[in-house]
Amino acid sequence: MPSSLMKYEAGISLPLLEEVTKRSGQNLSACYQCRRCAAGCPVGEETGVTPDRLIRMVLLGDRDAALNNLLVWKCVACYTCGTRCPNNIQTARITETLKQMAKEARLEPLTPRIADFHNSFMTATKHFGRFNEIEGMAIYEMKTALKELSKGHFKAIIDELVNQARLGAVMTKKKRMHFALDKIRRRSEVKALFEKARKR
Amino acid sequence: MELAYYPGCSLHASSQLYDIQCKLVFKGLGMDLKEIEDWNCCGATAASKTNDFLAIALPARNLGIAAATGLPEIFIPCSSCYSRTLVSQKTLASDAALKDAINAELTHKVNGSIKISSIMDVLVPQATSGALKKKVVKKLTGLKPACYYGCLLTRFPCDVDVSDDVENPQGMEVICAALGAEPLDWNYKTDCCGASASVNDAEQARLLMSRIMKDAVARGANCIVTTCPLCQFNVDACQDEVGKKYGIEKKLPVYFITELIGLSMGLDPVEMQVDRHLVDAMGLLKELKLI
Repeated sequence: MPSSLMKYEAGISLPLLEEVTKRSGQNLSACYQCRRCAAGCPVGEETGVTPDRLIRMVLLGDRDAALNNLLVWKCVACYTCGTRCPNNIQTARITETLKQMAKEARLEPLTPRIADFHNSFMTATKHFGRFNEIEGMAIYEMKTALKELSKGHFKAIIDELVNQARLGAVMTKKKRMHFALDKIRRRSEVKALFEKARKR
Repeated sequence: MELAYYPGCSLHASSQLYDIQCKLVFKGLGMDLKEIEDWNCCGATAASKTNDFLAIALPARNLGIAAATGLPEIFIPCSSCYSRTLVSQKTLASDAALKDAINAELTHKVNGSIKISSIMDVLVPQATSGALKKKVVKKLTGLKPACYYGCLLTRFPCDVDVSDDVENPQGMEVICAALGAEPLDWNYKTDCCGASASVNDAEQARLLMSRIMKDAVARGANCIVTTCPLCQFNVDACQDEVGKKYGIEKKLPVYFITELIGLSMGLDPVEMQVDRHLVDAMGLLKELKLI
């Protein structure tokens, strides 16, 4: 049943509401649906779900809808919603929490490229302690190409490579491309933080 | 005066020009930037989207290294690095258990007292005190910038005292006016340009950028000026594509604020690498006889 038709029932709602409130640090119960956040959301039109709707899904305990919607994935973390919220609810923190919960529940990302990019960024950062654009992009392009290949989307692979090659060529011409890899000395410290994050 | 300095990954790669400009301009204003040793990536948007612990822990390591310099203030030019580092400091101030868990892995422990400054935090007082104006040897007459702040200079996922107006900041306009340029009023100065989605959600990112470009052009701007390397690169690199897709014929150079200050202080544009923009940034300066 779509969450818009549901009513608040503590027994159904509380497990999800309490988990998201605790992890995001945001008091979702304070939302009174004024929709200032919706008016300012730059991706709301495309996602079809605005921050107020997302909060409502959580308040009503609709776990499927809250973990599986485009706002969770496409939120650009511009923090407009939270800055304008009269009750100081930062929905971007809620989308971050729900994205992590979706991953823990092993749900297939609705927008695999966004998930792949963030994961590639973190892999590159863990590797040398700094994000090297050339390494991060190589990991990302490999991930997306393998996925497209498994679906037989050859044109998508070629389009992506042509786009990236075009940008790479312009960047090289303007001396904006950086080929050397930047590394830190105490990489073991950064790796230890990643290890701790994995175990938490 | 010496400031601790965290350049961040972008200023060591595609936006190296911004690193060079920050050092040159700050030196001209009497401030030396001391890059902190062995700094790591702040985690940017990717860490906050994927892992709450790393989103706080990665900038915390840099804060520990910065504290070990003994300097009272750290300057962070990239909006994303600035935001993430500030959020880390604020979070750790009220979460001792998290701070202990992070410190257990660090050589230089984070203690949380160093002052974190954005480029606006450092430069706006220079403009309002009149110190900047004294350094101006060339007025930027004819330059009509749309000052673009983006998301992360004024909006934060936690409580932060922002020194400028959150919805209609004026810091860059104050600086531009001190240099003799004519900053314009416009609608999209704090809207998202889509930089963080530029690679992985391109269609959405281009739509966001098109709104910014359309308004800047309609208002009669002849350039955009910004402080964030991620915004600068995105709006610089994607103008061809956005222009074609959304029917925007005019292209606007996207200057870093340091380029405008440097030019008016008489610094050499080639030494500042103004010739390395993807949308030509030298032509307008020549046309206006500023170089």
